[in-house]
Amino acid sequence: MDQLPNLGREREMLSAMGMSSIDELFSDIPEDIRRESPLPLREPQSEEEIWEDAKRLLGANVALDDRPSFLAAGLVRNFVPTMVGMLATRGEFLTSYTPYQPEVSQGMLQAMWEFQTMVSELVGLPVANVSMYDTSTAAAEAITCAVRVHRRKAPQDNVVYVSEFVPPQRLEVIRNYTQGSGLDIKMLRHLKNGHVDMSSATEAAGCCAVYVEQPSSFGILDPGLMGLKDIIGEGTALIVGVDTVSLGIVEPPGNWGADIVVGEGQPFGIGPTAGGPIYGIFACGESYVRQMPGRIVGLTRDVDGKRAFTLTLSTREQHIRRHRATSNICSNETLIALMGAMHMALLGPRGIERLALRVTSATEATKRAVTSIEGIELVDPVASNFREFAVKLPGEASDALTYLDSKGVLGGFDLGVWWDFMSTCLLIGADERTSQSDIDALVAGLSSWVKEAGR
Amino acid sequence: MSDLFEFNGAESAGWSQPEPSLGEQEAWSTVPEPLRRESPPAWPRASEPELVRHYTWLSSRNFGIDTGFYPLGSCTMKHNPRLNERIVQLPGIDRIHPLQPEHQVQGLLAIFFEMQEMLSICSGMDEVTLQPVAGAQGEFTAMRCIQEFHRSIDQGHRDKVIVPDSAHGTNPASAAMCGYDIIEIPSAADGRIDLAALEEAVGDDTAAMMITNPSTLGLFELEISQAAEMVHEAGGQMYYDGANFNAILGKTDPGRMGFDAVHYNLHKTFSQPHGGGGPGSGPIGVKAHLAPFLPSPIAGRRKRVADDSEGVGDGYWYFWRGIGESSIGKIQQWHGNSGAVVRAWAFYRRYGRELERMSEHAVLNANYLRHRILNPSPDTAARMHAMPLDGAPADVVKHEFTLSLSALKEAVGVTGRDVAKRLLDYGVMAPTLYFPMIVPECLMIEPTETESKEVMDRFADDFHKILSEDPEVVTSAPHTTDVRRVDEVWAARNLVLRHPGPE
Repeated sequence: MDQLPNLGREREMLSAMGMSSIDELFSDIPEDIRRESPLPLREPQSEEEIWEDAKRLLGANVALDDRPSFLAAGLVRNFVPTMVGMLATRGEFLTSYTPYQPEVSQGMLQAMWEFQTMVSELVGLPVANVSMYDTSTAAAEAITCAVRVHRRKAPQDNVVYVSEFVPPQRLEVIRNYTQGSGLDIKMLRHLKNGHVDMSSATEAAGCCAVYVEQPSSFGILDPGLMGLKDIIGEGTALIVGVDTVSLGIVEPPGNWGADIVVGEGQPFGIGPTAGGPIYGIFACGESYVRQMPGRIVGLTRDVDGKRAFTLTLSTREQHIRRHRATSNICSNETLIALMGAMHMALLGPRGIERLALRVTSATEATKRAVTSIEGIELVDPVASNFREFAVKLPGEASDALTYLDSKGVLGGFDLGVWWDFMSTCLLIGADERTSQSDIDALVAGLSSWVKEAGR
Repeated sequence: MSDLFEFNGAESAGWSQPEPSLGEQEAWSTVPEPLRRESPPAWPRASEPELVRHYTWLSSRNFGIDTGFYPLGSCTMKHNPRLNERIVQLPGIDRIHPLQPEHQVQGLLAIFFEMQEMLSICSGMDEVTLQPVAGAQGEFTAMRCIQEFHRSIDQGHRDKVIVPDSAHGTNPASAAMCGYDIIEIPSAADGRIDLAALEEAVGDDTAAMMITNPSTLGLFELEISQAAEMVHEAGGQMYYDGANFNAILGKTDPGRMGFDAVHYNLHKTFSQPHGGGGPGSGPIGVKAHLAPFLPSPIAGRRKRVADDSEGVGDGYWYFWRGIGESSIGKIQQWHGNSGAVVRAWAFYRRYGRELERMSEHAVLNANYLRHRILNPSPDTAARMHAMPLDGAPADVVKHEFTLSLSALKEAVGVTGRDVAKRLLDYGVMAPTLYFPMIVPECLMIEPTETESKEVMDRFADDFHKILSEDPEVVTSAPHTTDVRRVDEVWAARNLVLRHPGPE
């Protein structure tokens, strides 16, 4: 209640309007639909009471930093430089909205234009928007965007191919976003070694779009994907989902034929935050620009010829085009993208390379240590991995995770949750903060789990 | 001027990370050779001191609620309490992975559960999901639920969605993304819903009607119950766009009005900061018949039993409850914008059962400001080139109102856009411009409950002043901003969408 500057002055304001009670202001609500009793909710609280409750409730959660953690599966336990939170929460950024008035929004507009540039550089494509909700919605809207571009000429005009090992919840998002346009989503098969089956790719030639991930959801880097665009052809969009950090050392998909690149921006700028707010990156080639979803900032000038920035290509968007818009997206994740921009700018070209090398080093070290345990094998023994790898256990992964949890280790992700046939497979994720003692704790836990069960 | 890509002197701050645990060469060798990146991204090379100054400079060129009055209609730009920002920095939300086991996230689940309950009570709905991350995504989610509901009862042929011509653009866009055809119906002369037009539009092909109440004109729909009856009679569903929920909390609710589904904008009504365009959060509530189709999972709870590990101390055990076979599946990859939900929870706790006061003050402020603008003193009125006109005639409005400046345009050629730009010179944000489209030269004004009488008095005075200024001055505004009127056509023609790289 301390948020109302006119509390206690209602009468004065009402009488200026010739009214005597607040009820008059609501007299237009028909009587039969009025609420007659107060809302059955709790007592109002003061700021300090709320703070105490927040600390108590959120303190009951176990933070990732409190224990060795190997849980990734799409979000990462990162370190965000201190500057980022302090500057992004400056009120001028935090409490602004979509820059409909560019003359007083140059700060955020320029920051987003710089963000677009850094994303474009990272993925190797000329155009990036100012963010989607997350990777999954970015992937889904990349597909609908590609379909709008290619449908008219594509021989398989109703078909898109999606990697069969895209995480199921992402596939569900994709299905929700594409079912309205009546698309047939076919699965792009993978070989036993985790790489994409190129004969399956041949079937995809002539469809509207192919969606693959590099690395895959098992963390596998597949050099074969570099030949995919040649197989599917110019008239089919190649959409690649990436681990954005990996691009510090992995060739950007824009350089090997990708038409659209999407990925999770979260590693840059914000903690995993229980799944949101995070942000999806979306970048594309020039021929997709007019069909892309989301806001985009362009350079321009003011009437005096001074450099200025503004939202542009708005005629694609819902507030102008309504039901013919390229997407319904309005509120996006700009503030989180701003945090990402700050983080990227702090890293710089050498910093992103080092960050990626730290992740790959931790991945390799964890992989070596875990596979030295007798009875535990890599699912894909010859694959190269970034951040994550899958191992086959001599028992149920859920059982192993419960055991590790009792030893204070967050051991990874039970792949049986995603695919029934993988219930003995554990997805282990490393990150730049994985320490040798974390690895030792994981190995000790897994080893004794294997022994105790007499496996 | 500060340009990020001019920073190229430093090694870059990021170079000072710990070294990789493997040697450089060995680490590189983990990447298959053809896939190794040849040249790094051309990002700036800047130190922390340089970047702190760069972003501080950028922030000084940006207008937020903290800077001044932000009467952007339909966006509910209210004050964002700072406590909420402090809370989301706690490791118990910032450092949480959505796939952690339930016993590690009891506090998060408890907050989710409390928010689901609160939102369903405030809206008269039976079940709530917090998964959609923006209002538009909430609309889309609810329309998907309606679509699957109809398919489940053999009504899959219903392919038309009715929206009034004053609806937010996201309504038709969200419905179209589900594959629906849109029927737009004209508003009646008073700006409210035209039952005759609705009667003509409904039929056996009606899937739903999407409408916000109060409307984008700030008017309460007097015949909303009749509209709901007509749509239901025809076999359609009623969808409530909750963008304007700030106006009615505790006074009435979409359930009483006859709606089947509703979205809430936590970034509007419950003050999650708008952040230059997002994040938002767009939970939805539905009546029981739509609940089996919601995205999975939502927060559930049961009485704690002996085997449970420690919860949050309230005697309950919280868990993620799956929706089941008929769920539409995920709409966002995780559980939604949890950080926004936690902020909204902290906001709600300030008001509790007094949320009604919030709506009362939002409506009081809107009516007061409208009254001040439409009733200048005779002296002031005499100085103005033309009076601002009421966008829609009404005794009272709800949380926002519209003005038409068509008389001003006719009199001296000053448009709504010109006045909006001139307001920037007076240190306030411009209202929503040219929306809803049914009001000519429209300005849409929503002060929210967190503005004082003095701020609104000053705004009304400045507004009157602008309407009496030399038209030249107004049509060439703004004059005092960081840049003057921006050439949007040049931007669209030339499409310079990224920095060309350092010179």
